[in-house]
Amino acid sequence: MLNLSSFVQKAQQLLDPTQGLNLSDPDRNPSKASLFQSQFRLPSSQHPLYEITAELTIPPANATQGDKDHDRGFRYAGKLHISESYLCFSTTGSSFLQSASTTTSSIFTGQTHGGGPSGNGFTLPLCAIRRVERLHSQNFQFALAITTWNGIGQDDKAKDGSKDRKEQRITLQLAGPRVTCERFCDGLKKGLRAAVGNVGKLKKVISECYSEYLLRPEDKKNAAPPDAGLGMMFRYPGDPKKLRDRAKMRLWAEYLRDNGRNMTLLRQPTFHKLIRVGLPNRLRGEMWELTSGSMYLRLENPTLYADTLTKFSGQESLAIDEIEKDLNRSLPEYPGFQSEEGIGRLRRVLTAYSWVNPDVGYCQAMNIVVAALLIYMSEAQAFFLLSALCDRLVPGYYSTTMYGTLLDQKVFESLVERTMPILWEHLVRSDVQLSVVSLPWFLSLYINSMPLVFAFRVLDVFFVEGPKVLFQVGLAILRINGEELLDATDDGAFISVLKSYFVRLDESAHPKSENPKLRAVTRFQELMVVAFKEFSGITHSSITELRLKNKDSVLNNIENFAKRTAIRNLGPDSKLLSTEELGALYDRFYGVLYERQQRDLIIKQERARRAKSSRSRIPDMASSHDQAVEKGRVGLGPSTSLMDYDAFREFLASMSKWAISDSPATPRRETFPEADRGFYGSLNKRPDAMLSPWGAGPEPADHEFLRRLFVKWDVSSSAALTLQNVVSGLARIKGKRDIMGTINYFFELHDDDGDGKVDREGILRMSEALLFLSRRGLEGTLSPTNSTLTLSTMGDGSQNDVSGQTINERFLGSVSAFIRRCFEYADPDHPNNQPAATQKTTTGADTSDDQLASPDAFAIGDDDDDEDDLLAMDSPPGSPKAAKKAEPSSQHAPSIGRTSLSTATSTDPKDRRRVSKAHSERANIALDPSNPLHITLPTFRMVVLADELLEQFFESSFPASFHITEGLNSTSATSSSSLTTFSSLGLGAGRAVGAALGGAPGAPAGGRGLRGVLDNIVTDGMRVAQEVVRRMEEAQKELERNAVPGQRNDEDEEEDEDDAVAPGAGKNAAYLGDAERRSVRNSDRDLLSGADAEASDVTAGASVPGRASVGSEGSSGGISGGGAGKVVGVEFEG
Amino acid sequence: MADSAGAPRPSSSVKLVLLGEAAVGKSSLVLRFVNNDFQENKEPTIGAAFLTQKCNLPQRTIKFEIWDTAGQERFASLAPMYYRNAQAALVVYDLTKPTSLVKAKHWVAELQRQASPGIVIALVGNKLDLTSDNAGTTGEGEPGGGDGDARKVSTEEAKIYAEEEGLLFFETSAKTGYNVTEVFTAIANAIPETSLKSARGPGAAGATSRTEEQRVNLNGPRDPNAKEGCAC
Repeated sequence: MLNLSSFVQKAQQLLDPTQGLNLSDPDRNPSKASLFQSQFRLPSSQHPLYEITAELTIPPANATQGDKDHDRGFRYAGKLHISESYLCFSTTGSSFLQSASTTTSSIFTGQTHGGGPSGNGFTLPLCAIRRVERLHSQNFQFALAITTWNGIGQDDKAKDGSKDRKEQRITLQLAGPRVTCERFCDGLKKGLRAAVGNVGKLKKVISECYSEYLLRPEDKKNAAPPDAGLGMMFRYPGDPKKLRDRAKMRLWAEYLRDNGRNMTLLRQPTFHKLIRVGLPNRLRGEMWELTSGSMYLRLENPTLYADTLTKFSGQESLAIDEIEKDLNRSLPEYPGFQSEEGIGRLRRVLTAYSWVNPDVGYCQAMNIVVAALLIYMSEAQAFFLLSALCDRLVPGYYSTTMYGTLLDQKVFESLVERTMPILWEHLVRSDVQLSVVSLPWFLSLYINSMPLVFAFRVLDVFFVEGPKVLFQVGLAILRINGEELLDATDDGAFISVLKSYFVRLDESAHPKSENPKLRAVTRFQELMVVAFKEFSGITHSSITELRLKNKDSVLNNIENFAKRTAIRNLGPDSKLLSTEELGALYDRFYGVLYERQQRDLIIKQERARRAKSSRSRIPDMASSHDQAVEKGRVGLGPSTSLMDYDAFREFLASMSKWAISDSPATPRRETFPEADRGFYGSLNKRPDAMLSPWGAGPEPADHEFLRRLFVKWDVSSSAALTLQNVVSGLARIKGKRDIMGTINYFFELHDDDGDGKVDREGILRMSEALLFLSRRGLEGTLSPTNSTLTLSTMGDGSQNDVSGQTINERFLGSVSAFIRRCFEYADPDHPNNQPAATQKTTTGADTSDDQLASPDAFAIGDDDDDEDDLLAMDSPPGSPKAAKKAEPSSQHAPSIGRTSLSTATSTDPKDRRRVSKAHSERANIALDPSNPLHITLPTFRMVVLADELLEQFFESSFPASFHITEGLNSTSATSSSSLTTFSSLGLGAGRAVGAALGGAPGAPAGGRGLRGVLDNIVTDGMRVAQEVVRRMEEAQKELERNAVPGQRNDEDEEEDEDDAVAPGAGKNAAYLGDAERRSVRNSDRDLLSGADAEASDVTAGASVPGRASVGSEGSSGGISGGGAGKVVGVEFEG
Repeated sequence: MADSAGAPRPSSSVKLVLLGEAAVGKSSLVLRFVNNDFQENKEPTIGAAFLTQKCNLPQRTIKFEIWDTAGQERFASLAPMYYRNAQAALVVYDLTKPTSLVKAKHWVAELQRQASPGIVIALVGNKLDLTSDNAGTTGEGEPGGGDGDARKVSTEEAKIYAEEEGLLFFETSAKTGYNVTEVFTAIANAIPETSLKSARGPGAAGATSRTEEQRVNLNGPRDPNAKEGCAC
């Protein structure tokens, strides 16, 4: 037995193509829950909990007519399922157990092929069950008698004799081992208990069902019937006589009396037959609601429609504007929609839906569909049916990209190709695009293609049997008109053939036939026969399979179109970036948004799953995991196109290494050089990675600079960026490729109030930002890409590792010099100092770099720069002499730094001294806290240009650090090892920073392995810079006391050298750099420990949610099951 | 609309597509051109509507196969299906609504890049009847619409743009019928002779190749109707 079953399973795997693929795509491997939901048309809140093989007996007592088999009643063998709040039975043997193969879960027999309530049986809300009794039975079988609340709406008064006759009672014989039966009964009992409270809802829902009125005894029909649509007021379309509406109504009344109505309806073969011949007008709405499952949505939340209208009353939206435009033009030929009443209903339903599903909002064609629904049902019913349509029946048809529509057109085309190859070939040859005609059929569910009466007949079947009906009908239309279509050679002719066909649907299909019966067959009947007989091979699963096959190409098309459009529609700024860059930006932008949404979803699901599995013993919850909807993908209609700050960080981290966090807590550092973060990278393949808040990507940094960038780009101050914002923002940095532009931009970024001045705080922030941006090394910049010869001085080819580090160290020096210079050249805010300031700014621009730079060249790095600069300016680019000269100088930088400085600056030493003296005086004034100061853009520019490294930073390094097109894949590998911080300098020749900020960290750092050091130290650079802000205040005080202007030049240089050799040996407190140095040195230890503390805080914080969710331990003590012989039932009255 | 077999002039069909923001009056323009009619409440176009109308020129008859597309933004991704192989396009904006001109420019850019290379594009500002300079208000006087000038897009602005891009340019009113036929006549005239197929010819089979070589330059005085078009 065991062997056999495993064999069967293997065979199934072989037969089921999707099984073998083992794809994680939710489409390919739909969850058991979703299969269950679609088979029984249940809301997405329902999961298959227990199932058991059973036999359903519908006792003859229910049969009111005498001619039925009184002894045996009707028996059906099938499977009984129980979910959170439904008891379902189907003769289809599908199993939704976790262990069941996909094939068994999607076994389809009968007409609906898994797309709807297939076979015979019932979908019974547990709250509609009044009583469950365990029957005495032979052979130890479990037999349950279920009494329902059938007719609950009307037995308020008639409690006596008539009640017994009406009571609906069915028996279910469970087959299976006793344990299984008991478990099932337990589950049922639990469900029943939970459902007691919903009887009120049930009453409310069925009070709007016309069947309740229909089945009322004649004497109680005085009450007004429930709303069965506008048709009650404005007549239903078509001639009721011709439609044989009365006869149909009689048949239905009989069926409902025998088999239960609305919620308690039992599906027997007659049910499907009755639907095929067309529903009677007044029952049509209710049956649509029932067969589509939207009635169960209404049961879940009966007041949602009214509540939504109240909640959003008076509010405006784009969707509402669009709806208003179309209200007067929805089925305008139907009298109901020429009246305020009809228009009002249409307005309310469409508006309410646009509120509950803002992702869809309003799509033209919905107006036509809803208008059609409103002819047969109440507003609330139409509202829920619209949800069922958009979510399940025609998913994606009305989404913002209409991907569902386009996909089904592709599916339709391939079905035509498959079933009517000759016609297909003709279409291809005459270059007629099929979807041009068929798209409106599908989009408006044939409602505005066929005469209404016939369209509704199609809908009758569509709601029971699902979307495959649309295809079957479409194929049948083409088949029937095949000959004429073969004569049509262009779109126009093609369309007119079909147009005239639709007009004549009510004519005889065989007008010339001898046989009167054949003559009586209308073209529409012929259509239905062809659709459901000839194309019976078109099943839900074949549609699903084809959808799957075409989905990617359709989505890609849409995405390409969307991308093309979006990029073209970007403003003039976008012209500054290349097409490739724009394309890559677009991909990155939406890629990040998409991945984040996916991650959120998966994390949420995972959390829910953990919470659930720890709380209860329900075995089947794991399935919720693979239910991931592909929300957010552009092709599916992005649910957002706005990027918040966190997403922005992640976005930057995907292309700029400085935007990656240095936190040692980042667990995925090793896996970081991630292969390919393609657009929509296959997410589900790394489910574990997805559970980290940043996915598999690096954790993005959070730095003030990022925040500033975000705010700056967020032009509309909406706390979110559009693609346009991002493009404009980057265009200014990367687009112009001119250094002045970048410098200006950087300045603006720190000019909070936009008054063209950056104050003391701002200067410090700027320097922090510079350190932040450079801490993983400067990029592209210093490689000799451009003809700039200066670059070659940085290293002879091998600048990447050895001299690369030197460059970075020197950059730190440049930054420290930057701070100092800024303060030196800053303008005092005080009016008294204004003349000096203006004088300086005017001269500032003209002063040559070396003159400005030299007085401040206290760090050796600077010295080099100055020399390079000189060389670059003196010798034309490409001169080998310059290169030669530069090389040795850089190699011997440590030792000859001073010499080169002196040569560099010896142009006019006297002048230099004088200038520097004056400057330092001014600097000291500037540092006086009582003299608020600021720098202006020209000053900033001057200071930057004074330093070759900084200049290069703005010229190329900063713009180049945004790897828009290529991403971080190639560079990231080295990024973590090339972190440059103050401390890491201790490892190399950390003179520059040592000089500027004290070299103390060098010592402890040197003792550890590079990586370990880095991990700890990464934040230090930043910390130090921040600390500088604080220390600056102290420094100022000290300066006030000790400042000895003009005393520093050579001495300082010498001293710097000393510092480099023996870190922390600075003594001269007369000098700002020195003060800085000392204070930082003093606090290094605190800093380090502070950084550590912060890092661990972060980790603790990050892991909290996970822990919390795990922590909630299950509290469900098992309710031990009903023993044998006991009545398992609970009776609920009222 | 059936082809009269003995038509004196050679007849050829031209595929024309209408594009533009929702509710700028695309369908109304077509309705005016095809039926000389105007409806306040037209059912919104789902996907696209297909109509035909002939246009008689001195030397030949042009049969327009008009694809009137849905204007709602989300239908934009369906547009390539309709403008595929189109020889002419009418890009419509509402001259009381500046955003509709922006949208029109997007369409022009899309067509120039994605549609058949030789496509003749006409930019049409509709709803001229709502402006004070409604030059052609001849028929059907507007009841209660005389509250001044609702124009938000100047003729100059649109004209300059049209000239830059080499488009035909008209301002029309589908309501009064002003300038509507002129648009179609101008398009008919602008279609290069070589790109015309015969109405009941071998079908559109050659459609892909037929437009390959010609890129029509509509700049300059080549277009005989340009002056008319701007006479508002």
